[in-house]
Amino acid sequence: MGDPSGEPGSSMHGVTGREQTFAFSVASPIVPTDTTAKFDLPVDTEHKAKVFKLFSFANPHMRTFHLSWISFSTCFVSTFAAAPLVPIIRENLNLTKQDIGNAGVASVSGSIFSRLVMGAVCDLLGPRYGCAFLVMLSAPTVFSMSFVDGAGGFITVRFMIGFCLATFVSCQYWMSTMFNSQIIGLVNGTAAGWGNMGGGITQLLMPVVYEIIRRCGATAFTAWRLAFFVPGWLHIIMGILVLTLGQDLPDGNRSALEKKGEVAKDKFGKIMWYAVTNYRTWIFVLLYGYSMGVELSTDNVIAEYFFDRFHLKLHTAGIIAASFGMANFFARPAGGYASDIAATYFGMRGRLWALWIIQTAGGLFCVWLGRANTLVTAIVAMILFSLGAQAACGATFAIVPFVSRRALGIISGLTGAGGNFGSGLTQLIFFSTSKFTTEQGLTWMGVMIVACTLPVTLIHFPQWGSMFLPPSKDPVKGTEEHYYASEWNEQEKQKNMHQGSLRFAENSKSEGGRRVRSAATPPENTPNNV
Amino acid sequence: MAIHKILFASLLICLLIQSSHGATKERLFSDLEKSALEVTATPSRVGEGVVLAAGIDKLSITWKVSSTATKEPEFKAIKVKLCYAPASQVDRPWRKTENELFKDKSCPHKISSWSYDPAVKTAQSFDYTLERDIPTGTYFVRAYAVDAKDHEVAFGQSTNEDKTTNLFSVQAISGRHKSLDIASVCFSVFSVLALLVFFVNEKRKAKIEQSK
Repeated sequence: MGDPSGEPGSSMHGVTGREQTFAFSVASPIVPTDTTAKFDLPVDTEHKAKVFKLFSFANPHMRTFHLSWISFSTCFVSTFAAAPLVPIIRENLNLTKQDIGNAGVASVSGSIFSRLVMGAVCDLLGPRYGCAFLVMLSAPTVFSMSFVDGAGGFITVRFMIGFCLATFVSCQYWMSTMFNSQIIGLVNGTAAGWGNMGGGITQLLMPVVYEIIRRCGATAFTAWRLAFFVPGWLHIIMGILVLTLGQDLPDGNRSALEKKGEVAKDKFGKIMWYAVTNYRTWIFVLLYGYSMGVELSTDNVIAEYFFDRFHLKLHTAGIIAASFGMANFFARPAGGYASDIAATYFGMRGRLWALWIIQTAGGLFCVWLGRANTLVTAIVAMILFSLGAQAACGATFAIVPFVSRRALGIISGLTGAGGNFGSGLTQLIFFSTSKFTTEQGLTWMGVMIVACTLPVTLIHFPQWGSMFLPPSKDPVKGTEEHYYASEWNEQEKQKNMHQGSLRFAENSKSEGGRRVRSAATPPENTPNNV
Repeated sequence: MAIHKILFASLLICLLIQSSHGATKERLFSDLEKSALEVTATPSRVGEGVVLAAGIDKLSITWKVSSTATKEPEFKAIKVKLCYAPASQVDRPWRKTENELFKDKSCPHKISSWSYDPAVKTAQSFDYTLERDIPTGTYFVRAYAVDAKDHEVAFGQSTNEDKTTNLFSVQAISGRHKSLDIASVCFSVFSVLALLVFFVNEKRKAKIEQSK
């Protein structure tokens, strides 16, 4: 591949193929820097950042990152705000176990649809307005908790609040306008992981706010309603910050109109077809339902579980429950990182094994959590379960970009929706009926995780193999080019629409594992012009 | 690898702590002396289908040590509690009746506590206004007699053993306030308006810039 004639950009010296996912920065020969641009970070020709500088708030790239993940996190806070207060709410509204379970299902169901719509909204209005619209229009739903009188109202309000989880889409969309595709994996993974942390923050925040309001003299049944004003105001504040401090693109907002022409090139129907007919899509939908899905379900039940089973005070249960969600801070990126490490040695097969091991381990720890009889073992089991489930989320999205090039957006969206669907289903089966106690529900949920992770053995890439089968030795069908180009028909190929897929196929050869990677680097080849 | 060793060690320590708690015989409800106390609870409003209002209506409670009580010398204090009737425990596992006393959750609401004076043999009575955090449900009153170690030794309740007679219903306060509702509406309107104002403003500015 390396061109020994020494033209600039042709040397493959130093290129290991490792750079694409979860790197902190992109080296310059691979993606050229635009030196004329005056930004705080080095940028490429589209003015997307090539470096991910975590602790900077520099406009526009890092500022966008922080606005984005914080508003996504705020939506997690409000969606799960009811969960740690359920011990109080259930007495005020005279709820049964079924009502509480149904409300939990409702809280994660709304966003299945809103996430699908959000993609179109971002295309129409841009991610900044997409995010601000969603966050500020869902603030009234949070405030309307003060009107709730019974089970029906409670379920309805939790359903409506749940719509705001679609900020996941605006968050990821916004990141992809600001960061180069070589580092977008880490950026998006961190933003998603830190956003999910909101589910943990809320378990700490809401009991504390409730306690403060109670100490100020309110009765219990008024205090919890007032407590909801806090996430409501967070929505308004974040919405205003996004509108005033954010911008759609690195160069500003107005160019959004000009750029739109480039976006709608491919036909939606075709992309949908290739997403839906790829069997791997559906396996990942199932898998994500049992990593992200069980994480969301646990966010909804864990505080009440510790409160009831171990006779803890509300804020103590909240602290323990919070540590479940907060583990996202490092667990999700760690999962992606583990997948990358496995890939350096074993390629895609390593990624698949890593995902199976991590997610199954999470399931086993969940079983242990359900069977733990003392507080200490329950906490240990819960933390290990959280690490397993959240790292599995990160490891899932380390593989999803390779399933398809043409339909990546839709497949990511479907996978994300699968997470919410899995959460709703799990809560419906195990936590909404009197058939199972909560500890039995957790045990069976763990068993279901292990069972539903088995399909990862069926994922086979002809060019890289699967968990148990080696790659195809067919000289045509066993290549990356064949796999990614097969998503385009002959007419489209004649129009050269598949060039992006071919480029991606070239870059993805590193997923073949160690032997392929060491062959890619030409040994001792120094270019003619150094 | 050091992390793995630390994690494994902490796991081991946790398991050891748990097992070292030792086996203490759990105190059971069935071991308590039944009907050692005679308890009556009379609501301030009686009648068919009457529902008492939390925070407003009262209960007139009397308790007296029964002449048949055998553990009477151990009594140090009397704790009176509000307990859920079976109808209010259906589909609500957090109110379940358990035989092990520390697990039992059917009597979570404390009414009052009185130190026991063996010299006084007459019935003690007092008025109790239903607290504002009592949930909606059907209830009865139970009095536990505790010993010097604060362990229950005997009890009496205002209903029969099957918990079917002399029950009373309570309706909880809603917790809603007009001021809360008004604030909620105001903030919601503010949120929507702020968004629209920003949006319209920016579109107007963009139009002006384009026409320049």
